[in-house]
Amino acid sequence: MSEKVLLIDDEKDFLEVMSERMQTRDIDVTTASSAREALALVEKESYDAIILDLQMPEMDGLQALERLKAINPDLQVILLTGHATVEKGVQAMKLGATDVLEKPADIQTLTEKIHKAHARKIILVEKENEEKIRAILGSKAW
Amino acid sequence: MSTERGTTSELGIDFFGRMTASISHEIKNTLAIVNENAGLLGDLALLMDKGRPLSSERLTTLAGNIRRQVQRADDIIRRLNRFAHSAHEPAASVDLGEVLTFTAALAERLATMKGIGLTVAAGEPVTVEVRPFVLENLLWLCLEQLFAAAGSGATVTLAAEAEGGAALVRLRCSAGTEVAAAAAGVEGAGQPLLAELQARLGVAPAGGELLLHLPVRRTG
Repeated sequence: MSEKVLLIDDEKDFLEVMSERMQTRDIDVTTASSAREALALVEKESYDAIILDLQMPEMDGLQALERLKAINPDLQVILLTGHATVEKGVQAMKLGATDVLEKPADIQTLTEKIHKAHARKIILVEKENEEKIRAILGSKAW
Repeated sequence: MSTERGTTSELGIDFFGRMTASISHEIKNTLAIVNENAGLLGDLALLMDKGRPLSSERLTTLAGNIRRQVQRADDIIRRLNRFAHSAHEPAASVDLGEVLTFTAALAERLATMKGIGLTVAAGEPVTVEVRPFVLENLLWLCLEQLFAAAGSGATVTLAAEAEGGAALVRLRCSAGTEVAAAAAGVEGAGQPLLAELQARLGVAPAGGELLLHLPVRRTG
């Protein structure tokens, strides 16, 4: 099953070429050139992983991360940054980022991180389903 | 005076750091696009080995993409080089409009990050005798304060004009910008720069404009 990924970056040339490379790796990619556009997409669609640029106009990556996590705390967000400072990395992880990668990123490393994010999402969904079933079983008087 | 010079230097280091950090981000972005285009060429070569046809048109497009980013990086590095040299240039006669255009180019990315449009209005040439780096630094402080006061969606337009025997820089802002607050911020943080340039700040009586009055030639 191919992973469903949302790629967010204000550089349209980057979005174009990166999404084509991901598609050749059987990844189902949707792109957004602003955090606002991405937030609207996340409200409607479910994604296995979100690749988010840290530096974007109006709403930066950390603010966007916070808003994305508020919509769905289980979202697997991988941050891409021009300069990965330790401080920003720690801040991103505290806000719930799955990983932080520095640009230019190696596609192999990024693909592996997407696979891991997808696997983590499956575990979270299964756990959630298990809890729902347990709650239903507990509430019924058999 | 030595304290003032020290503070001017401190402001200069801060300014230099802010600008070079922003420029290095821009370079990283272009490198990332070049990297992905090179990677895509590798992907297409692998697919071609597996029998998928590859048109010369596709290769021409990718070569064009790479060339465009190399040109972009070259422009950025030229700007960085000019900025680095301006840090040790002595006082000289410079065209004020050209300094405005250059400072706006340096600040453009930071303006975009805040959702602010930054432009320079064309005008008659006005020559002033200054250390270019100090003037760039003061202009940046004005812009930084105006960006904070204006908020996302606003525009800031820079314009130079002669004012009797002196020069004037107008920093025109969108309606609703707290220009007086921005002016107070520059007065507070940029006093050593204002003193070195023998410049004076003001706010246009109708509001909406931060005014920077500069002597054409410094005295003393």
